[in-house]
Amino acid sequence: MSKYKRVSGDAVEYEVFARKTRVEPLHQVGSVVAPDDDLAMAYARATYDEERWCEMAIVRKDDVIRLWQPGEA
Amino acid sequence: MSLSDIVLSIADNKQMLGLRYAEWATRAPSLEADIAAAAMGLDDLGHSRVLYGCLEPLGQDPRGPERETDPSTIRSLAYFDEPWSEWSQFVAANAVLDTAFTVMIESCVGGSVEVLQHRLRKMLMEERYHFLHGRSWLRSGIEAGPLNRAWEEAIEWFGPPDGEVAAFHKEGKLSLGPSDLLARLEERLESKAPKAAVDWKRWDSARRRTRDGAIDEHTFGMLRGLEEKKFAAASAKKDE
Repeated sequence: MSKYKRVSGDAVEYEVFARKTRVEPLHQVGSVVAPDDDLAMAYARATYDEERWCEMAIVRKDDVIRLWQPGEA
Repeated sequence: MSLSDIVLSIADNKQMLGLRYAEWATRAPSLEADIAAAAMGLDDLGHSRVLYGCLEPLGQDPRGPERETDPSTIRSLAYFDEPWSEWSQFVAANAVLDTAFTVMIESCVGGSVEVLQHRLRKMLMEERYHFLHGRSWLRSGIEAGPLNRAWEEAIEWFGPPDGEVAAFHKEGKLSLGPSDLLARLEERLESKAPKAAVDWKRWDSARRRTRDGAIDEHTFGMLRGLEEKKFAAASAKKDE
């Protein structure tokens, strides 16, 4: 996850995770910016639905607890 | 009026909704909203194809040759007659009309007609995201004009209390009657429809609307493939 943010106003950045099969772990496929969870779900599905994912999840970028980041390890 | 007429009305309306959504694919307030407009447009155009495909198995296809030449025979609501000029028109259609079509589809899936039970179920999963999109934008606040108009047209589209939707509900072909459809729509949108008396004497039972008019010439030409011919002629001349 990069440190780059493109949010403004009330918008929040969400990271989008997905996987194609049950045996693989969720991995980050991108991000969306939205003012609330509902719209973020709609945007994530619209933006990243080109693959046949068996699972998709979003998380607020601010809710991710970082242990360390690039340059700090 | 047969159940095919209801299905054709859903199909024509979803086709027009899909086209109007798609027109906003580069005009929405954010990149995400642009992409959502395009994606929802594709969804609804796909849904309309599935619905048209149900007409033959239902036993009656109400589409006649007049649909090739007369735009007023396309059974879509007046809300879709002209391209939307304001984002609030998009949001009102997304929140109210798209959800109205969804609750009618739920009524088909919950009814006794097998082809509709099976073929329309997947649409409901996709429509969940249209609903989230519409409700979220609606909560952010939009102008009353387009919103009230969308509600009025949704109520008209559900039909009169003693119309064929009510009759199909009694027969079990639809799981919801007009008042149930409206109640479910209000529940989903967490709001009451504005008070408006529908003049059912003016109601066109095929198009399920009271307003006159028809879809614009350009859109009708596009639906019929006539717009393509303009480009075909230009490229043919070039090759000469």
